[in-house]
Amino acid sequence: MNKDEAHEYLSSLLNQNMRVYTTDGRMFRGSFKCTDPDRNIVLANTHEYRQPSEGERSAAAANASGDSVTLDMTSRYLGLVVVPGHHIVKMEAEQFLSQMK
Amino acid sequence: MADFGVGVPDGSAEIARLSLGQGSSPAETLAPSIRSEGIIAVDITAKFSDAVKTLEPGAIVKDGFFTLFDSVAALEIMDPKMDSGCAAAEAEVEQLYDVSRPLLPEEVLGIIDQLLCHEMSWHLGYPLSQTLFTSFYVEALSMPDPRSIQEATFIRGGGHDPNEQLMLQVLRAYCLGMLKSCGYVNERIKSEHYYEEEDFVTNTYNRTLLASLPTSAIQDNLLEAMAALRSQTSSIPEHLVEALLLRLKLRHIFLDAVECPKHMKEPELAKKPWKEGLAILPALKKTHSLASPVDEAFSAKLQRKLASTMPPRPIVQLDFDVAFGHLNSLFEDAMELINVLHYTDSQCLLTFVTTFQAKKPQPIVYVRTLLQTFLFDAMEVLGSMSIRQLLDDDFAILTMPAHQYLDRLNDEVEAVQDPRYAMAQQMELFRTRAAQPFLDILRTACQNRCRVRRTLCHLLRDWEALQLDAEEIDQILQVKAKEQPTMYRSSIGSGGVESYSLPLSSWTYLYKLRQMELIIQLGFELEIYQADEFAGMYWYLNYISKSRLHHTERIKMFVIKRVEEAQAQPMPSDHTVGTQLQRSLMYTRLSLLDAAVTWELSDSLSCLYTILNRLKLIKAPPRPYGTDELRYEIRMRPFAPVGLPVLPTFEEFTTGTTQPDTDMEELFEYAERAVEGAKRGFEALSKMTAEESFSVGSHQRWAEGAKNGLKSCIATKIAIAAVQKAVAKAADPDDLKLKVEVPTPERAYHAFWIVPKIVLLT
Repeated sequence: MNKDEAHEYLSSLLNQNMRVYTTDGRMFRGSFKCTDPDRNIVLANTHEYRQPSEGERSAAAANASGDSVTLDMTSRYLGLVVVPGHHIVKMEAEQFLSQMK
Repeated sequence: MADFGVGVPDGSAEIARLSLGQGSSPAETLAPSIRSEGIIAVDITAKFSDAVKTLEPGAIVKDGFFTLFDSVAALEIMDPKMDSGCAAAEAEVEQLYDVSRPLLPEEVLGIIDQLLCHEMSWHLGYPLSQTLFTSFYVEALSMPDPRSIQEATFIRGGGHDPNEQLMLQVLRAYCLGMLKSCGYVNERIKSEHYYEEEDFVTNTYNRTLLASLPTSAIQDNLLEAMAALRSQTSSIPEHLVEALLLRLKLRHIFLDAVECPKHMKEPELAKKPWKEGLAILPALKKTHSLASPVDEAFSAKLQRKLASTMPPRPIVQLDFDVAFGHLNSLFEDAMELINVLHYTDSQCLLTFVTTFQAKKPQPIVYVRTLLQTFLFDAMEVLGSMSIRQLLDDDFAILTMPAHQYLDRLNDEVEAVQDPRYAMAQQMELFRTRAAQPFLDILRTACQNRCRVRRTLCHLLRDWEALQLDAEEIDQILQVKAKEQPTMYRSSIGSGGVESYSLPLSSWTYLYKLRQMELIIQLGFELEIYQADEFAGMYWYLNYISKSRLHHTERIKMFVIKRVEEAQAQPMPSDHTVGTQLQRSLMYTRLSLLDAAVTWELSDSLSCLYTILNRLKLIKAPPRPYGTDELRYEIRMRPFAPVGLPVLPTFEEFTTGTTQPDTDMEELFEYAERAVEGAKRGFEALSKMTAEESFSVGSHQRWAEGAKNGLKSCIATKIAIAAVQKAVAKAADPDDLKLKVEVPTPERAYHAFWIVPKIVLLT
């Protein structure tokens, strides 16, 4: 990817909802505002989502009747956050199914 | 790009708060569900990483509306100091506390007492996140927000009976009562004037503190729990049952107590719960020894569940005895506060408010906001009086006893040429201008001590402006009323001057002078001045109080003139005229005495500190960047906008402070004479009755102030004598074998009067 393309691509993502996964297993979902060469990312209106803890999982498994259990991730509102690039493991952009080709 | 987070008050929340007593917090920013049919998350990790690699060092890609300034406010994820959710390795291992586990009665007592400590820490200004919200039980009850009392249980769903275990039922009832009353306290404080973070943190981190549950349901729940406890006396030792009952009862009472503003018109009813609470507190303290604390029921990690970008902070640990002390004074102060509802007159009210707030330690913020509610709620003073009544009462006491300007019948006059028409018009105009500055004096007194001084400095400008208005209105009215001037022989000037009574500007000027004195005096209380500046500041206090004394003498002359006029009237007039005149005479007597003692004691202390400065017993700290003149400028800044009394120049100030033309002997003599006068004045003051001193309802506190003033006089006398003796005895004037200790305001007899302690060195 050349410089101009890259810039254009990154700019096209601005203000889109992004999901950023961090090294400790949390996910942050907010609108993408800014990035830099170190892949530090600024998200606005961010919510944090956390995987259920081991204890909660086993408790749910014990109570469940079927083979699989569904547990909601716990979440809370954080607002404006910076996710340092070296803590990012995965990034996803949200797209509307209807607008995808 | 603003942070649309919680804590930013939005319009709807403001309106909700205004229209309803217990408006709930703004609707929670609900986390959007991450599973949605129409939205697909596409992994862009690789592409994104490639793209950023092409950016040059220092280059950024950003939204046009996003500024780097905003990014400073952003929370840094994975930074353990900022990110409360940052999961350390051991956090995952940590077992969550099980809120359904069976508890021993001792443990419930322990948890309740721990909660009590947290509740008081919150009252003292720590945020909920570091106090009550660190409890697992509180967390379980408040998240998700229960919509009914049935829902507010430790374990939600699954057909759990909340009353299955008696101990959990007791704890649940206690927590419900506690959270509800905290909700009331929070709303009360938010609706009045206070300083966020400085006095109190109202942030509830999107928790509603059970705002949607009716109080009656929680009260019933408490009663049920008490009944259940009483029926179990066989299985649980009696003293434990008693201890638990006491705590539930306290919650029940406190819920009544926080609703006391409802009973503003029936002070006895409002006082009842506070009184009941005080009665059971000693027993509660005694039973604390039975409790065994359960530390694992609290965790600072719960902060990561709160809607907050604040970095996680440790749990505030307040000792039970300290917390209990605050709880006790909360009830005592609140009960005492209800007495403010017994209104006598405006000056008694002012005395009540100022002495109540000057209490050491100062009443906590909830009590102070409660006082504001009583004073100002719904534009009515004490729930029944209009602001006009209060103002007219005050005019009548200070300068206008039974005055024609204040005649209510003036309002009925419709003939424009009638002077009474102008009186009604002009007085109304003055009232509208004076109402705010006057009420601000009361409101200011309800703030914390540092803010009192600061706000008074601002308020002084308003009073300065008001004085100009008052002078204008006085002049218009004295023409309309065809007032005849009186020969006034002032005690300073020789010969009389033709003077008009100028009742409105006299009233304003008196208040202005009192505020100026208070600003200087609070400077001493708040330790603003260094010891070497005391001579100067007491000199300035002396200067202002001298102006007040002369001004009060002038007021007195006109009051006496009115008395003479009234007596000369052949017709026995309305009996209220007599009482009003009497009251004004009484007030001028008090005001004269009060100004005189301030004048004389400050004079004496100024002389004493001048002597100590001259003897080099008080040394100025090194001030490499300051000069006396700059310091003078900053000390006098609050008073600079005031036209009258004229601000002394720096030269006048220096001369007044150092008194270079007066030798030591004379200084001793002046100091002694002045303190003797002040002592006599304080003696006369402390003998006054509540009516004479305009302190009905707060006489005890007022008299204590006068007594402490008297003690300060005696201490000053002793200090003067000690220095004088040492100077007379010393062979070498540079070695007096003396040491001067300047006490802190808390250790002085009166915070306004810092009397040095002279210690002989042997």
